[in-house]
Amino acid sequence: MEAIKLQVNGRKRTVHCATNATLVDVIREQLHLTGTHVGCDTSQCGACTVHLDGDAVKACTILAAQCDGSTLTTIEGLAQNEVHHPMQQAFNECHGLQCGFCTPGMIMSAVDLVHKEEELSPEAIRSALEGNICRCTGYQNIVAAVVQGAAGMKEQQS
Amino acid sequence: MSGSLVGQRILRKEDHRYITGKGRYTDDIQQVGMTYGCFVRSPYARADIKGFDVSQALEMEDVISVLTGLDVAADGLGGLPCGWMIHSKDGSEMRQPVHPVMAAERVNYLGEPVALVVAETKEAAKNAAELVLVDYEELTPVVDVASAAQGEQLYAEVPNNTCYEWGLGDEAATDEGFASAAHVTHIELTNNRLIPNAIEPRAALAEYNSGTDEIVLHTTSQNPHLVRLILTAFVQIAPEHKLRVIAPDVGGGFGSKIFIYSEETALAWASKKLGLSIKWTAERSESFLTDAHGRDHVTKAALAMDSEGQFLAFKVSTTANMGAYLSTFASSVPTYLYGTLLAGQYRTPAIYVEVNSVFTNTAPVDAYRGAGRPEATYLVERIVEKAAGEIGLNPAELRRRNFIGKDQFPYQTPVALEYDIGDYEASLDKALEMASYETFEQRRVEALARGKLRGIGLSCYIEACGLAPSQVAGALGAGVGLWESGEVRVNPTGSVTVLTGSHSHGQGHETTFAQLVADRLGLAIEDVEVVHGDTGKLDFGLGTYGSRSLAVGGSALSVAADKVVEKGRKIAALLLNTEVDNIAFDAPVYKMMDSNETKTFQEIAFAAYVNHDWPSDNLEPGLAEKAFYDPLNFTYPAGTHICEVEIDPDTGVTEIVQFVAVDDFGTIINPMIVEGQVHGGLAQGIGQALLEQAVYDESGQLVTGSYMDYCMPRADNFPDFKVGMTCTPCTHNPVGAKGCGEAGAIGSPPAVMNAVINALGGVEIDMPATPEKVWRAVLSSQAQKIA
Amino acid sequence: MELHQQLTLPQSVDKVWAALNDPKMLQQCLPGCERFEAVGPDQFEMTVSTKIGPVKAKFTGKIALSDLNPPLSYVIKGEGKGGVAGFAKGSATVSLATIASEQGEATRLTYSVEASVGGKIAQLGGRLIQGAARKMAQDFFTKFVQALCEDETLVPEIETVSAP
Repeated sequence: MEAIKLQVNGRKRTVHCATNATLVDVIREQLHLTGTHVGCDTSQCGACTVHLDGDAVKACTILAAQCDGSTLTTIEGLAQNEVHHPMQQAFNECHGLQCGFCTPGMIMSAVDLVHKEEELSPEAIRSALEGNICRCTGYQNIVAAVVQGAAGMKEQQS
Repeated sequence: MSGSLVGQRILRKEDHRYITGKGRYTDDIQQVGMTYGCFVRSPYARADIKGFDVSQALEMEDVISVLTGLDVAADGLGGLPCGWMIHSKDGSEMRQPVHPVMAAERVNYLGEPVALVVAETKEAAKNAAELVLVDYEELTPVVDVASAAQGEQLYAEVPNNTCYEWGLGDEAATDEGFASAAHVTHIELTNNRLIPNAIEPRAALAEYNSGTDEIVLHTTSQNPHLVRLILTAFVQIAPEHKLRVIAPDVGGGFGSKIFIYSEETALAWASKKLGLSIKWTAERSESFLTDAHGRDHVTKAALAMDSEGQFLAFKVSTTANMGAYLSTFASSVPTYLYGTLLAGQYRTPAIYVEVNSVFTNTAPVDAYRGAGRPEATYLVERIVEKAAGEIGLNPAELRRRNFIGKDQFPYQTPVALEYDIGDYEASLDKALEMASYETFEQRRVEALARGKLRGIGLSCYIEACGLAPSQVAGALGAGVGLWESGEVRVNPTGSVTVLTGSHSHGQGHETTFAQLVADRLGLAIEDVEVVHGDTGKLDFGLGTYGSRSLAVGGSALSVAADKVVEKGRKIAALLLNTEVDNIAFDAPVYKMMDSNETKTFQEIAFAAYVNHDWPSDNLEPGLAEKAFYDPLNFTYPAGTHICEVEIDPDTGVTEIVQFVAVDDFGTIINPMIVEGQVHGGLAQGIGQALLEQAVYDESGQLVTGSYMDYCMPRADNFPDFKVGMTCTPCTHNPVGAKGCGEAGAIGSPPAVMNAVINALGGVEIDMPATPEKVWRAVLSSQAQKIA
Repeated sequence: MELHQQLTLPQSVDKVWAALNDPKMLQQCLPGCERFEAVGPDQFEMTVSTKIGPVKAKFTGKIALSDLNPPLSYVIKGEGKGGVAGFAKGSATVSLATIASEQGEATRLTYSVEASVGGKIAQLGGRLIQGAARKMAQDFFTKFVQALCEDETLVPEIETVSAP
């Protein structure tokens, strides 16, 4: 068993887990943050995407033990004071989700994408979302949501 | 109807919980003392089981129990039944091999469960599953659908591995049509096998409470009541009133979560047998192996025309793969959901179809988004496009010549259905305009200058949705009626709880149904809450599939809302001391017609529960009404899809450069949600056309068993779709809705393939049009030109 | 999966044949082989740990030699079960021929392998089997040559030939 200290959505947490426990198992089963989902076992669907020290990562392919001392943000930590993050709001307003299962990972990837890229064309967004699979929406409204969410994030910063 | 909410793009009520991570899917549920299940699965496509050795597994720390197929057999559990009886042409009943909950003697497909390990932790269950030793003796499997009937016989009771040999239509009249034809177009094609891949893998949590002798089963289902009915009436794991089935948030279904599978059945049984709460969640690898697959047809067909291009007759012969066992609705998919749609949008006077369904050592095949109707549409629209090329007529014009005219409804087709209404030219015209069809040739020339091969393809689809009029469904072999239930429960303060048997797993029912009922009663949408997915809360419901939710479930709610309005009139009459006939409802206000006295809906609701003075003979307290709505006919959404592609001849990569979909779904409650459904359906249909295929090798191993090998559509596989609507409201349900969930997946594959084949200069290839296949076709097309 | 390859060994056919029939030699050269025991005439049992793609498994199985034509050829058949990982089975026809070489007597060893896998190893690693089999053959014969010639610097050149 490993004792791992994490800063999770602004709270200090210590978890005890097996050396081979994945980050997503710890997030879901020990931290009880079940908004982060598991949709595959080959690190391709992106439903488990979270922010680890500011970067979007697939939590199914990282060992929890690697994350000792890290800062972790999950979908539950995105809204501040019960107000939706601009990307969350955009997904709602653009109808960028249907069943909602891929949505947390999609939103976390999108936020990271906006943080890292200055200008985002719809084509660039389509290409950048290659690591997140959605089976419901046909992606069109997700792309629209990311465009709108990016604008909202910019507005919030200025 | 107040008309203020229906037709509005209202943002979804359910989104808040999903975008904040507060959705509650089956695997999210954790309970104190919960244990974990892991299934042991066959690594062979076909093998005899010579014995089980569970001793090592049981010795592992934290392992509670290992139950095998032998335990299932010893407890006398029934097999998993198929709910639709098909009769062969000779009148005999379809052959249905026993589908065991877990195999005890023989496995018949890769991944079939043979044992369930229950342990205190997920890891222990998984590790112990590796130590369950099963002694298999491998047998030669039957894998290929086309030759399955000639393969080694898989079940003693199923000669030629044939489930049924079914036929529909007038064969003699069809042959006469061919005898008098000026031109006959032939086609051979396969409809590729698909894996549904809802992003939430199937999961179940079964909790047995020995105090009440009740099992609560949380499971990823599109129809929890059907799960309860089958587990209790057929598999007989508990009495029906002692099993509560809850389908909480469900992460997509597309058909694959309609069916009753081994895993949730085994879990419910084991939870009672062991007195435990047990959870199992599929890994994606398990989903690939065991979720019911879709499509998988091989077909030969011919279309007869006169010298003017009028269709005279259509003859079809299809072999359909059922997989190893008959899944819940499998038998109906290649028959009544396929053969009946072969008229398409056309007046073809004579049609004959025969379908042989065969068993193979592959995962069961059942309904996947569209279910039978995509297969029918793909065939009809491919052969019509081919016929146009052969007789040198514009494909749009050939279709136009054969359309059922908008003044010809109701229209009886030669394959059983009576279409109630439609306007196929309107959709075609609108789509042609949106696609700038007239100027395509210029774009082709321009693309060629860039070295790209550009093609355009049409598809004019029809589907039969709103499953289904119970009488018709019953006559065709359905084991259950296909009505839907709905309840509008008005609370004393005037807010409303709507209960529906139509489960929502992405379709947005919590918004659409609230919109519908709020509109009827003149309420704010925030005042209406939709409850679904729990047999403990709802009347019996038949669930969500076949684009039926609004047309059937919504109609039930519409009728229930009308009943609420009616009862409100009686209460208003009582309160206003007048006759019921003197009360009118102008949502949300009840008015006395001969005075200016009114009562608001809220006042009526309050009075319904707090009033002391009820006339005992004709009015009861309370304001909650139910309806069981049984549709009078199927609904017939229809439309035109136009796809334009560019092929890179050097790499064979096909890019979709434009996709236009014009659909007639009848009355639309929420256009935003409907467009979203269209987008999603298109992505799955285009995925089928260009990317996806389930492949088994000759030994029955699944070669495309993960996202590394099964090509899921990604965002960059698509352009923005251009979506348009036309509207002829359904004539026979109170909402006027036809259903929109499957249209995209039905209409798009032939549009894409017609475009690809057009770009290839007529060289025919089967789906999926992968770069390799297209590249080879480009070479053969160039060779043909040189020759 | 099929693999047809050949290589040249700087030893006489008789020596190569003897080595190919020596369980200790086979165990020593087979990558991941933990156990290789004779259980009857030309019958062996073995345990091999291997990894194909993301799936690591320990296979337990039987090996049988047949169609023996000493010292020129035999068929070696094997089948191994790897529990939840699935199974692997295959056969190889191995034949030897004397060839002339500058260093004196040498042997050309030709083998044709047919193999298949099932279960999880096929589902997740199916696409990688060809590569895994090539590597396994390269590793086996490198050790085989080195042991046979008692020279740890030798690396045989294996060439792929067309199917016989």
